[in-house]
Amino acid sequence: MIIGENIHKSFGDLEVLKGIDLHVKPQEVVVLVGVSGSGKSTLLRCFNFLEEMNSGTITIDGHTIDPKKDKLPDIRAEVGMVFQHFNLFPHKTVLENVIEAPIIVKKMDKAKAKQLGLALLEKVGLGDKADVYPSKLSGGQKQRVAIARALAMEPKVLLFDEPTSALDPELVGEVLQVMKQLAEEGMTMVVVTHEMKFAKEVADRVIMLDKGVIIESADPKTFFENPQNERTKQFIQLVE
Amino acid sequence: MESIRTIFDIFITTYPGFLDAVIITLQLTAISVVLGTVLGIAFALMKISKSKILQGIANLYITVIRGTPLLVQIMFLYFGITQIVVLDNFWAGALALGVHNGAYIAEIFRGAIQGIDRGQTEASRALGMTNNQLMRRIVFPQALRRSIPPLGNQFIITLKDSSLVWMIGVAELFSVANRAAASSFKQFETFIVVGFYYLVLVMIFTYIVRWYENRLDVDKV
Ligand SMILES: Nc1ncnc2c1ncn2[C@@H]1O[C@H](COP(=O)(O)OP(=O)(O)O)[C@@H](O)[C@H]1O
Ligand SMILES: [Mg+2]
Repeated sequence: MIIGENIHKSFGDLEVLKGIDLHVKPQEVVVLVGVSGSGKSTLLRCFNFLEEMNSGTITIDGHTIDPKKDKLPDIRAEVGMVFQHFNLFPHKTVLENVIEAPIIVKKMDKAKAKQLGLALLEKVGLGDKADVYPSKLSGGQKQRVAIARALAMEPKVLLFDEPTSALDPELVGEVLQVMKQLAEEGMTMVVVTHEMKFAKEVADRVIMLDKGVIIESADPKTFFENPQNERTKQFIQLVE
Repeated sequence: MESIRTIFDIFITTYPGFLDAVIITLQLTAISVVLGTVLGIAFALMKISKSKILQGIANLYITVIRGTPLLVQIMFLYFGITQIVVLDNFWAGALALGVHNGAYIAEIFRGAIQGIDRGQTEASRALGMTNNQLMRRIVFPQALRRSIPPLGNQFIITLKDSSLVWMIGVAELFSVANRAAASSFKQFETFIVVGFYYLVLVMIFTYIVRWYENRLDVDKV
């Protein structure tokens, strides 16, 4: 589905990703963990070319992307992303947030986009909020709108960068619930999160990133019960 | 006491002429802010563009305008432009004020555009928007809204600065007052009256700007 190979990324002298290989299979849910600064966000951002890699390749559906020849906006349209701080468009209503990209990028017919948008808002439990502005929503509701917005582009894979980290604890559940539902429906997902319960219940694979290197990659049961790497053991103790 | 009576008398006798002059002052202000906004958008876009040449032109314009007195700009433009085209004093004044405003408004727009959260452009990119699309649909609309309060302030500054075009004989509020002061020999009292006019105008527009700012806060955009 989406394959990253030998990804290297430096900011100046700071080498943040030191040759990452990550193969995500269709319908797989990969949870990415690691301490702050280990390079998780940077890795996700390389996957949709928000960050320019120093070397390495990304292959989507068998097509290895050439950043010089391929149109990056077209590539990004196939890779959805959900951010820690939602990044909803404050000057647009909830529905307009969701249908903006289908209309502008995909040139979808307005009526059709509206239909799709309302269906997606229904799906994330916000059908009644279509016409309000994001400033009127709670954090949990904002993030669910952001998920609907990403889904509206019908992406092949969805990247989540700490989607619940900015939320009050009582609002985390409603967002994880939506993500769990997506996973069950077969959406391919790469999720950076500190919610270990989510990793255990939903992930097909848990990957530990440490100083820009993958040091552990296993199914959740093995990952949490029988980790191989010392750093992974420490990390699990820390978060549990 | 005598003075207060004189002020009142002057107010009564001058207000028909002063009100006409207020209209001209407001017209000058409005026209030059509109012209300044058009120039401001153009130069702000040049400044944030990738082209070094366009950036250079915008920087030169902004530096020169901000680095020279408005009065010099008015005289320069008036004597310069009227050598090339036939332009009455009012339009020459409006043009000078507009060109002056353009530099300040360009900085207002540039600041507003660059003040939009990076998350907005990242989210737009992640959805597949091109630079053009995300600027047009996401960044500019938000920047424009945020520019309105500082634009309102620029309007207020221009309202006061427009008094300088009396130098080229535009019959706006200050020049009418100046004439009235000279002919009545009551300079002190007349300028108190004209000060009052400016103060009231400025207070009205300050109130409008503040009202809009509060509304913006409520919408959080
Ligand atoms: N745009 C940037 N410029 C410079 N350094 C950056 C930039 N983005 C991230 N970094 C650095 O790269 C390292 C990894 O960051 P990040 O990928 O955000 O880690 P994580 O998401 O795991 O917390 C950090 O040391 C961070 O300071
Ligand atoms: Mg991060």
